[in-house]
Amino acid sequence: MPQSREALQEKRKNLSSWLLSLPTMIWLVCFFLVPYLIVVFYSFLTPDIYDVKFEVSLDAYRQIFTSGYLQPFFLSFKLAIYTVLICLLLGFPVAYYMARASEKLKNTLLILIIIPFWTNLIIRIFSWRIFLSYSGVLNEALMGLGLISQPLEIMRTNLAVILVMVYVYLPYMILPLYSVLEKLDFTLLNAAMDLGANEVKAFFRVTLPLAVEGIFAGTLLVFIPALGAYLIPQLVGNQRSLYVGQVITYKVKNIPRNWPMASALSLTLLLMVAILLLIMYAIYRRHLARRHY
Amino acid sequence: MEDIILQNISKDFGTFRAVDEVNLTIKSGELFSFLGPSGCGKTTLLRMIAGFETPSEGSIYLGNKDISDLPPYKREVNTIFQNYSLFPHMTLFDNVAFGLKVKKRPKTEIKDRVQEMLKLVKMEDQAAKYPDQISGGQKQRIAIARALINKPRVLLLDEPLAALDLKLRQHMLIELMDIHDAVGITFIYVTHDQGEAMSISDRLAVMNQGKVVQEGPPDDIYERPSSIFSAYFIGETNLITGDVHKVYDDYLELHCPDGTGNILALDSSFHKPVAEQSRITLSLRPEKIAISRHKPRHQDDINIIKGQIEDILYLGSHTQYIVRVGNLKFRVFSQHKRVYFDDKALDWEEDVWLFWHDTDTWLIEDNPFEVLADAELDDSGNLKRYVKRSKI
Repeated sequence: MPQSREALQEKRKNLSSWLLSLPTMIWLVCFFLVPYLIVVFYSFLTPDIYDVKFEVSLDAYRQIFTSGYLQPFFLSFKLAIYTVLICLLLGFPVAYYMARASEKLKNTLLILIIIPFWTNLIIRIFSWRIFLSYSGVLNEALMGLGLISQPLEIMRTNLAVILVMVYVYLPYMILPLYSVLEKLDFTLLNAAMDLGANEVKAFFRVTLPLAVEGIFAGTLLVFIPALGAYLIPQLVGNQRSLYVGQVITYKVKNIPRNWPMASALSLTLLLMVAILLLIMYAIYRRHLARRHY
Repeated sequence: MEDIILQNISKDFGTFRAVDEVNLTIKSGELFSFLGPSGCGKTTLLRMIAGFETPSEGSIYLGNKDISDLPPYKREVNTIFQNYSLFPHMTLFDNVAFGLKVKKRPKTEIKDRVQEMLKLVKMEDQAAKYPDQISGGQKQRIAIARALINKPRVLLLDEPLAALDLKLRQHMLIELMDIHDAVGITFIYVTHDQGEAMSISDRLAVMNQGKVVQEGPPDDIYERPSSIFSAYFIGETNLITGDVHKVYDDYLELHCPDGTGNILALDSSFHKPVAEQSRITLSLRPEKIAISRHKPRHQDDINIIKGQIEDILYLGSHTQYIVRVGNLKFRVFSQHKRVYFDDKALDWEEDVWLFWHDTDTWLIEDNPFEVLADAELDDSGNLKRYVKRSKI
């Protein structure tokens, strides 16, 4: 009976794929799902100086939307949006240039972009501190050249945070953009120009729409980590404007501790990212559907 | 009226000269082809007319306007690209409408014109599809519609049929000719396929190593090749080279370099007089040679040579015989017509007579960059030197 044999095969295939994904599943459940459930559980408890009291309370959530906690969210979103936009503006021309470069130059440029990853992030951020500080390399150089008479106060400002954020996350924007632009058929641009589009029109009507997937991927890769940024604001920013990541850390680190608040903030951030992802995914799906792929 | 005038066009890429002092005049409404092996400069020439390359030297005129330095989007010229280059993110309708949309034409006009164009290429019912949902031949049609909607003065076609299979290619060739007749503008067609070029063109330019080797109507180039290159690139041919021994009133004797010391008597009604003791090269097309096991009685020993069949290639519509004469090889095409009912097919190793009509040999004139002594033939009679240099 061919049908039952097919059914059997199907069954076996399902079983084997299930077995193969089992280790990952176990890993995800133990180290991802369960910890998150603990976070969810803690967010509904009452804070104590060091720990929590096991009394159910919605205070944490209430506080997020009533007291000054919205400010860090606002700051974090602003930072993430700026970072994405600047990375996009800087990254696109770089990715475009790389995509059109000769095979040899392409590889060299790719390696140059990847090399910074070989150095620890914290070391790179500290280099920026030395570079930007009041009597740092940048100020010394500018004063030496006579361009400024007084050192610029860049360190410990939001500008410094954005600068370093862009520096760290730029490769995450360039690489996906490069991968779509590299596949782009550049004779399409010739075709557009042949049909009467100048360089600008050809870019907006052909290059950009065909790079949308890379823009989506790069935006996600930069936006999500930028939203929860902790290390960079902590090391080059100031303590007057705190970002969500910092606030969460302080709630856990500083005494009196507030585990429920930290948990609630984390979950709120997660929820916002999830909603944003869903919206972007919907837009992306619609974009794909339009193209019948 | 002239549409395109190429005046002394050269194009250098670094030290490589891709196009070398080309002078051509293409008439309005003409279907003109650039024909040549890959790397001969034909595509570079086309790209210069389209505006994707600027000539290193010389000028390009469209009508009486010098367009050499205009960007592509300011030229009244449109291109069909080799792989069509349809925009994958747009429907066929939007692809065709592209030219008008960039020019910000009113919506109703765009709609009407696109419909009109789609109708011209018989694709009106597929407008909502995307390029990856249609076949190669259909992409080709959309590319034509997209280019023609701008009402160009000249349509450039860069090997437009190269990506299609044989049957479709023949079909599209006829369709292209119909479209050319329908729109009446100048077409410039680039191809390496001599069959395509011959069947479609009003006139064509044979190119090699950046230069135009010969220019003229297809039959002219086929029947009267000016150089060994054009003789070999368009169709197949036999070259007979030898030293003229003696010239009589209506025939001459040629020392044939076939190793046998044979003297070949040939009709001497060439388009140019030949001198005694000079070395000449004649082109004799394989289909013009008659082949027979019996010596014809009417030939007076002129234009006739005896050989032995070395190979027989059955090709359906005709058979190709390779006949050895001394150390020369002749290619002969023979159609499967039987003159006598008891005709027996020719066989391997059989002795045969080859003979031809007095006007069938064509004297190839000296050519500055083709010294005959360099032209070696390989075993199957192909021109080795050109095979090596330009990958025919």
